[in-house]
Amino acid sequence: MSSTQDHALVARVVSGQDTAAFGELVRRHQSQVRNFLRKLAGDISAADDLSQDCFMHAWEKMHTYTGRGSFIGWLLKVAYTTFLQSKRKSKRYAEIMEQVGHRMETNAETYTLQSDEVTDLDKLLAVLDEEERAIMIMSYACGLSHREIGEATSMPIGTVKSVIFRGKQKIRTSFDIKDHQHG
Amino acid sequence: MISKIINMADKMKDADDRLLESMFASEPIADSGFSAAVVKRVRRRLWLRRLAVPIAALVGGAIAIKPLADFVSIAASLFPAVPPQLIDATASMIPQLPTIVLGAMILGACLLGLRLLED
Repeated sequence: MSSTQDHALVARVVSGQDTAAFGELVRRHQSQVRNFLRKLAGDISAADDLSQDCFMHAWEKMHTYTGRGSFIGWLLKVAYTTFLQSKRKSKRYAEIMEQVGHRMETNAETYTLQSDEVTDLDKLLAVLDEEERAIMIMSYACGLSHREIGEATSMPIGTVKSVIFRGKQKIRTSFDIKDHQHG
Repeated sequence: MISKIINMADKMKDADDRLLESMFASEPIADSGFSAAVVKRVRRRLWLRRLAVPIAALVGGAIAIKPLADFVSIAASLFPAVPPQLIDATASMIPQLPTIVLGAMILGACLLGLRLLED
């Protein structure tokens, strides 16, 4: 995917609210955004709803994309923020319901799979906390550089590296990944 | 130059990194109407935004018309020096209900026509 083409499309959206150019941007990046959110949320339909919300936020905030980093990096930042906002909302909703007497199951901190099929990756993601999961997915599934992840998560590069290191350590201690490699 | 940097970065990856990359790798997700649905939502939002100001102006105008007419007649009694022709002219300039309805219909038709053209 050419970043020059992305920049040209972004310029058309910002200058003239061109919905056709925005549609092209969505077509080019929907797969990566949906993949990111599916892995992060663990629920396909919720992730697809979040992806739509993410692109709506991206439409509203497009003027804030300065063209400095890659467009997909910026888009994943919007996706991550959308995910966190949705988590906060559902957590707050659960708290309010609890206050009025309804006890609700909340998966604010734990990774709960909604799918019947549990893959190796699902098991692997389940041992990570939310922040580690997001960063590991950005790094290994979306191929973002440490700098891009830092921009997406508003973290210094050193912190990103240490979170990835910590995530890998957790995976190493939880799974014998060498067996997987040869198996 | 960029490919050299990418190659260097790739060489710096250890076996765990490559294994994790292969585990995280997934097939691209087919669009299946996703982008069309997003663009539809964006267009709907744009139209709602464009309609918001004219609708607000119409509703505000409809609400304000009666007090405005009262204000004109009170002003006329407070300022007897103002020529009555001017008061009558001001009062007649206030649009009546049929005018407002007709204006709203024309505005609605214009916006609908523009939307059809855009689609």
